[in-house]
Amino acid sequence: MVAAGVFAKKRFCIKPYLFVLPMLLFAVVFVYYPFFRTFLNGFSLVNAQGRLLRYTGLDNFRYLFGRREFASALGNTLMLTTVNVPVTVVLSLTLAVIAAKKRTLSPLYETLFSLPMAVSMATAALIWKTMFNPTVGIVNRLLGTELGWFESRDTALGTLLTLTVWMGVGFNFLVFLSALRGISPDTVGAAQVDGAGRFQVFWHIRLPAIAPSVVYVASSNAVLALMTSGPVMIITQGGPSRATSTLIYMMYTSGYASGNDSLAACVSLVTFALTFAFTFLLLFLERDKVRGL
Amino acid sequence: MKKVLSFVLIALIALGGTSLGEKQTRIVFWHSATGDAGELLGRYVDEFNVGPGAQLGVYVEAVYQGSYSDSASKLQSLLSAENEEDLPDVMQLDATGKVRYLSAKSAYTLDEALIDHPDEDTGDFLAPALENWRLNGVQLGLPFATSTTLTYYNASVLDEAPDSLYDLMYIADEYELEDGVCVYACVPNTPTLANWLGQMGSRLVNGNNGSEQNATELDCLEDGSLLRFLEIWKELYASGALVSRASSNDEFIAGKQLVMTASSSMISTLDERIGGAFELGVSPYLRVSPDDGYGATVSGSCLVMFKHDDERSEAAWEFVKYMTSDLVQAGFAMGTGYIPSRVSAVKTDLWQDFIREAPEYNVGFEQLMLTPEGMRSVTVGPAADFYYTIQDVFTSMLEEDTSPEEALETLEEELNGLLTQYARANP
Amino acid sequence: MKLIKSALWQLTALCAGLILVFPLIYAVFGAFKTPAEFGAWPPSLLPDSFGNLENFKAVFKQIPMLRYMLNSLITSLITGTVKTLLSCLAAYGFAYYDFRGKKALFFLILAAMMLPADTLILTNYRTVTRLGLIDTYLGICVVSFVGASQLLLLRGELCRLPASLWDAAKMDGCGDLRYLAFILMPMERGILLTLFLQAFVAQWNSYLWPLLVTTRMDMRTVQVGISMLTSAENTNYETVLAGSAAALVPSLILFFVSRKSFTGADASGAEVE
Repeated sequence: MVAAGVFAKKRFCIKPYLFVLPMLLFAVVFVYYPFFRTFLNGFSLVNAQGRLLRYTGLDNFRYLFGRREFASALGNTLMLTTVNVPVTVVLSLTLAVIAAKKRTLSPLYETLFSLPMAVSMATAALIWKTMFNPTVGIVNRLLGTELGWFESRDTALGTLLTLTVWMGVGFNFLVFLSALRGISPDTVGAAQVDGAGRFQVFWHIRLPAIAPSVVYVASSNAVLALMTSGPVMIITQGGPSRATSTLIYMMYTSGYASGNDSLAACVSLVTFALTFAFTFLLLFLERDKVRGL
Repeated sequence: MKKVLSFVLIALIALGGTSLGEKQTRIVFWHSATGDAGELLGRYVDEFNVGPGAQLGVYVEAVYQGSYSDSASKLQSLLSAENEEDLPDVMQLDATGKVRYLSAKSAYTLDEALIDHPDEDTGDFLAPALENWRLNGVQLGLPFATSTTLTYYNASVLDEAPDSLYDLMYIADEYELEDGVCVYACVPNTPTLANWLGQMGSRLVNGNNGSEQNATELDCLEDGSLLRFLEIWKELYASGALVSRASSNDEFIAGKQLVMTASSSMISTLDERIGGAFELGVSPYLRVSPDDGYGATVSGSCLVMFKHDDERSEAAWEFVKYMTSDLVQAGFAMGTGYIPSRVSAVKTDLWQDFIREAPEYNVGFEQLMLTPEGMRSVTVGPAADFYYTIQDVFTSMLEEDTSPEEALETLEEELNGLLTQYARANP
Repeated sequence: MKLIKSALWQLTALCAGLILVFPLIYAVFGAFKTPAEFGAWPPSLLPDSFGNLENFKAVFKQIPMLRYMLNSLITSLITGTVKTLLSCLAAYGFAYYDFRGKKALFFLILAAMMLPADTLILTNYRTVTRLGLIDTYLGICVVSFVGASQLLLLRGELCRLPASLWDAAKMDGCGDLRYLAFILMPMERGILLTLFLQAFVAQWNSYLWPLLVTTRMDMRTVQVGISMLTSAENTNYETVLAGSAAALVPSLILFFVSRKSFTGADASGAEVE
């Protein structure tokens, strides 16, 4: 994997280390040390000042898994992730297919399709909070409903989901668009000559050709969805009755805000594990798919 | 790239230069007041800065720190990082922040301030308001924004004020409600549940709701009060009077919810936003049943101090005295619906004339007088988790149709678990 | 026939686009509405007049918006610059030298990509506060300086360059830093700009971390600042929309400036955090 340097210098020299050192230093202090501490805290009793009191084995996890709050946070996070990923992929891909061929108005709707990526999470969350407000929001007025979108347990998570999907669409659309446009016209042309229909061309030629992009979009969205916390903090504070609480939000409230480092560390570790699991699952699926075709 | 770097450097230097203070003592004040209260609070801080502050050479920088719980989280995180330098000099604190405040090394409690200023005393403060900010025998600070929970009702629809939860069932039975209009919406949380338990003569947790010593377990199991309340709550839901969602000002203002229980501090905001669309009724906090007593504890916030150095703590003390003085207290109450925290403020002509015109502003004060002495708001270490767990279990009981006994069991297990876990890590 | 089909296709695309950006249109128009217009039935999309600036005045009265924007700008510039420079240095070391432990170090840095920053905030908060960096620009940026994917990309680029270039420079007595700063960086400016902009945008949009490490009003960033326009009890939605609309302005400028670098040839390989 790692190619040898362009020039191999055999004798020991301090110089190369100096180039690498600054980045390494930041990685050690702000990534590896906190990871190590999280690991340690997860298996120990830690007081509100962050001191390790003693090793407690799996006690923290046993306690965490028994908490109702954890069950809802985990369930909500998994729900957000498993729905967000396919919906985002399908939606962005559809938009990219619509926009793939260059036409007169292309620049206009390409801009419109990618515009959501310009909007920061905090801004988007505030707009959503207003749009879905039961009394003054536009959504109820347009639909003629009287729902408290973020106030009811039945709709809160779904409404939050529309926000997370919307936030991801712009960037993912661009990824798919550039992948679709990167396919050599010859391959598609040949298929068309063979009499393949539009859908067949898409399914058998285009889609396999952009499979790496699909995996990239799916895995990066899975990680982002697993980390959902900002909109929860701004719009719902995890409510109503924890219907929108997520793992990272729980880490913030039960850990940072309550001074319970052990619990926060356990939640972090669970999130890590999920991140790995999702990433590997997607890589595995891709390998399968690419070979199968 | 170089240009960018030099720009950054110049900007950094420029900003560093501007924040260098002058000779006066600058103190930082964290607050959580928004809306009318926020505006008024800002005005009083300004008045202090140009008036008494200027004379004393004190300048107060008011920083809105988000909601009380956001602000308390910030306090907690600074304490856990053992960084007390970045704490403010004065902080507006609500009940959820009490335990954390007391654990701060630099906490400058009122008891300590009174030792430093032997000629001052707190005799003029309303007893329930003052005592609400006493924890484990320590007086933390002075009451600033004193409120209590009241019942608001739509007097254009309802003929009389609802008095107990049973009245709500009666309303649901007797009145023809329009589509989309509900009688009452609420999800009990720590303070509302503790108030209802208090009316039955019980306490949510031991140590008199954690105010006299650290709470270690629930205190409403053996006397059956929690079970009884769960049963009544379920009955209320079954009657159709109760919608299981957090009470919302927006819905009430829009006329879609007839009864709402909320802080007395909302009166001015509600008045303004209803704008005469219907008549606003204000009455004491709903009783559980006609057999139980009235009452709700003091809520709202107090001002606590942190000591950085003598000069700053002296300045902080002057500022706290100003904000809790009778005229500020009366004026603040008139503009919001908070209760003046001092007897002398209640006695001012300003206040007396005002409540003759607007008697709804006096309901909160009257309720404090009705509330049994010794009834205290809840203080527990894991405050946020406690709050949400109660909400969660009550919602589940109604929406997943579990029995009150099962809900009781879950509450016992979860809440006691939280207290045990907290006590284990923070002996 | 083909023309009509194309026109219809484009029209559909345009409609889809408008639906997608509807929230933005709603926010911008709503920012100019009076409370009465906002609550009016039937709701109208357009405000009566774009001359109603009351909501914006309310925002600027409640929060120091320009100061927040300046803070966001400064922190984003710092992060963009430092992150790109660190990646450059490290990529240079990894591409041009062989040294003991090289593979291990390379993977050590790359593996950092697998550890999501959000899960590490608690310990990082303690570290940053012990370093005395609460309420400082450095404190807001310092956790985002490691760019493992940037390093990977840059190292790949450098390895692709012909070896003779370095050889010739060394013959002329050109030192490493000079070679890096005056030959490599100008040559790779396109990709460097992309990396800079990505880091800039990511920092500009970050929320949780800046919220944690700032306690002073004059240190807050735009994202943290505008989220404080709402409160549980009493939210004025016209003001919220005005705040959002004001925050959109720099974001949109950024978008149009940086769009090219996101759509560039390597868009599928680029990563945004």
